[in-house]
Formats: sequence, structure tokens, C-alpha cells
Amino acid sequence: MTRAPALTTSALVSGYDRDLPIIRGVDLKVSEGEFVVLLGPNGAGKSTLVKTIAGLVPVHSGSVALRGEDITAAPAHWKVRHGLAFVPQTENIFGTLTIHENLQIAANILPKDGRAGRIAAQYAMFPDLGLRPGQRAGALSGGQRQMLAVARALVVQPSVLILDEPSAGLSPKIVGEVFQRLKAINSTGVTIVLVEQNVRAALAVADRAIILVEGKVAHEGEAATLAGDPIVAELYLGARHSAATPVVSAP
Amino acid sequence: MTAQILIDGLIAGSMIGLGAIGVTLTYSILRFANFAHGDMISWGAYFAYAASALLGLASTSLTTPIAPFSFGWSLPLATVVAVVLTAALALLVDAVLFGPLRARRSAVIILVMASFGAALTLRSLLEFIFTAQPAYFTDELQIAIRLGGGMRATPDQLLTLALAVVVVTAVHLMLTRTAIGRSMRAVSENPQLSGVVGIDVRSVVRIVWVLGAALACVAGVMAGLLVQIRPQMGLDLLLPLFAAAILGGIGSVPGAMIAGLIVGLAEAVAVQTIGAEWRASVAFLILVAILILRPQGLFGRAA
Repeated sequence: MTRAPALTTSALVSGYDRDLPIIRGVDLKVSEGEFVVLLGPNGAGKSTLVKTIAGLVPVHSGSVALRGEDITAAPAHWKVRHGLAFVPQTENIFGTLTIHENLQIAANILPKDGRAGRIAAQYAMFPDLGLRPGQRAGALSGGQRQMLAVARALVVQPSVLILDEPSAGLSPKIVGEVFQRLKAINSTGVTIVLVEQNVRAALAVADRAIILVEGKVAHEGEAATLAGDPIVAELYLGARHSAATPVVSAP
Repeated sequence: MTAQILIDGLIAGSMIGLGAIGVTLTYSILRFANFAHGDMISWGAYFAYAASALLGLASTSLTTPIAPFSFGWSLPLATVVAVVLTAALALLVDAVLFGPLRARRSAVIILVMASFGAALTLRSLLEFIFTAQPAYFTDELQIAIRLGGGMRATPDQLLTLALAVVVVTAVHLMLTRTAIGRSMRAVSENPQLSGVVGIDVRSVVRIVWVLGAALACVAGVMAGLLVQIRPQMGLDLLLPLFAAAILGGIGSVPGAMIAGLIVGLAEAVAVQTIGAEWRASVAFLILVAILILRPQGLFGRAA
């Protein structure tokens, strides 16, 4: 089954400092409607890769395309207006604004008559948020913050949703809930790229996994296959604690 | 102490408050102390002065005072023109000076020093064009009205007080109730996340310059009407402006206005009780005290 590409990068090199690329030549292909998880050890460049795609880290060379359109040089605010929503790992909501204002800000790029409906749709999906829309977002719990951050990204009905470790700092029960929500969102046709440390939980919901090591793609494959792959199990799933440099082959 | 201190203080305070709103907005969104803001006040006053003079040449009926005030229709019309010109000047300074520095991710101290340079340049230009001689919007004399309780104020003074209240209320409603206001608060909290949620941060920055310059211009016209127009007028207001912006809490519009009134009242008390030569030291004392005792200001959020 071949599906149209939703998000691609080719020979992407990026990093905050020109002399110090963190992403060193990544070719990424994510198809429409796919649920892809980005795995890898700490410092592999997972966050930098998704921040580059979202327009927050300077691209040194290579390109990024959204549904075939080159968006390498586009600013962050342009990308979200064209269907690419990003949920950063930390500071992903406006704490001084209310829950409702956070959603209003996101909805602002939609046509006027569609805004209220999209915000109402988020309250329907995340009923906790709808209980106290006038509450300052800074007062929310960790799990509620992540829900608000995801809701905020979904307001604009993105075609591609990128999340940077939404499970960070959450209890296992809440993590399971967040991932089930993501699976449900994915089933409505939204392409999802998820950066995760929580490997087992991520592989359980994703279609495909990409393993990043030292700024390059080291391994990729079907999530179900990778979950049972002894090399991956050893290196990333904690089957055996090993600090050795990963030696992995293409699938 | 007399009740008149209250009127003097409120009038001086409303001008300080309007200027301080501009300082607090640029500080919270552009993240640097803009020392050229005082000179936007002077330029606003001179733009209005020049526009008013030109309107007076075009039609003498425009300079006939509107009773009970000391000025004719030329001044309100000229103020509208001056607001537009002052905003354009602020955008120009940002385009040639602050914008390129931001693009280069310059340190805050560089932006602050650049604003010092801009302040000196803008002030010298005013002296060059208009000389250092004081100028006046009108030659009409005004008789103060008795307000009861031993307080007196001229109609011009009462008008500026009312205008300050209207302008501050409008800015506060804009920030809290409109999409532009929400975007400004969002950029002030987290510029990077603002981009991610679809806010064009550069256009918000332009709106902040326009708004700050417009308020500075109104403050300049008020000061010019009630006192006189001088190239140094903005410089003299700079310390009280910063004292008010910090006392009110950076980013808080009502805070800046209330703190402006507090600084104005404190100055008026000092003038009455200690002597006029100590006026300027009051703002300085307030600034030092607030930085030591409550750095986040009255309405600011703790860092």
C-alpha cells in the first residue's frame, strides 16, 4: 500500500550553531495517516529534528517538505497555518493565559465563523478542559497541561501533528491515556510523528518506528517488528543494559 | 500639605502613566529597556506642534479656542496626525536599528545601549530642527476653576485627566478582550511558542511599537499643552516613566497607569514639602525602593 507523503526531509542538516550540526543528514518519509514514533538514546537529536521541522532550529542544508511543498525556509507561524502542528516538550502552553484563551489564540488563524466550533470540539474531546475554561493554564496539573497542549494543536485541524515527548513527567496511567488519545486522533486521519523515551508504550500505538542515533537514522521498521527485534530490544528496550555504541543495520 | 497636591499629582501622574504603558509594553515584549521612549514623547509633541502650526496657516478659524479650553480644533486634528507620524518614526527606528540587532540575536545590553544612541540622536535632531527654545501650542491664558476643598484646575488639565482615563481603559480592554491583545500577551510570555501556535511575532512587534509610540505622542501633547514643548521634555520624564513601569510590574497596563499616578503624587508631595528641586529624586527613590523590596512590582508576576 503506497500512500501520499505527508512529511519528508531529505539530507537534512541542522543545529543551533552553524559549526555544530546536531542533525547530520536525515532522510525522513512519513505517509499520510501514518503514526510514526521517533526513538533513540538521549542526545540523539530527536527533539532537534522535530524542532527543525517545526521551524524553530536553523536548517544548514537539505530540505523539509509538507505534502510535497517545500517548507524548509518557512517561519514557524506559516507552517501551522499550512497544517503542520507542533507540541513542544516543555513550555507548551501559555501559563499566564486562561485555558480558553490558549485555545482562542490557536483558533485565531482559522476563518472567523469556524473558531467557536473548533474550540467546542476540543472541549468535547477533552472534557476536563471544558470544566473550567476561565482557569489560568499555569495552574493545571502536568497531565492537564499536556491535554491542553494537544487540544491547542488540534484546534486548527492539522494534517500532520508532531509531539515532542508528551509523556515526560507524567504518571504511567496518564501516559497510557495520552497515547490512547493520540491513537484516536490518528484514526481520524491525522498523521502523527511522536518523539518518545517511553519506548514500549510508543511502539504499542505506532505503525512505524525510526531510531535516531547521533543525528542520523540508524534503524527503522514496523513498530510491531521492532518491538520483537533483539538488537533493538537490547539497545533501546532495556533487555540488557549496555553503554556500547550502537551498531545497527538497515532493516 | 494642601488638597491641591492631589490635583497636581494626578495630572503629572497621568502623563507619566501614559508614557510608562509604552515602556512596559516594549519591555515585556521586546525584552529590553528602551531609553529612546522619552524622545518619542518629545517627537510626538513636536509633530503635533508642527502639524498644528500648518493647520493654523491653512485656516485661522482652526486656531480659535474651543471654549472653555485654550486651544482650537487645530490641536486635536494635529494630534491625530502626530500619532501617525510618531508611530511611523518608531517603526523606522526599529527597522534601521533594533530589528537588525534582534535578527543578529544581540545581547540585551547591546539593545539598551543602541536605545541610548537612538535617544541622543532623536533629541539632537529636535534641537537642530526646532532649537532648544521652548515652544507652546497656544498663547491663551486659562483661569483655573475651583473644584471645592481648596482644589483648582484649568479646563485643559481636567481634559487631559479625562483623556488619560479613556486611553488607558481602551488599551486595557484591547489587551484583555481582543485577539491582538491575546497575541501580545502570548508573545510577552513565550515568543517561540507564539510562533508555533501561528502568531506572526514580527507583526506583533510592529503593533507594540505603534501602540507605544501613539501613547508617547499623546503624553507629549498633554505635557506640551500643560507645561511647554522642549527637546528635553522626554528626557526629563524618562526616570519617572521607568519608575512607574517597574513599580506597576513589567507588562501590566493598569499597573503602569496606577504606578504613574503614585509617582506623580509622590513628586507633588515632595515639591510641596521639601522643595521643587527635589522633584526628580523622588522617582529615583521609588525606583530603588521597588527594586530592593518588590522587584516584580505591584501587579507583576514573580519571575
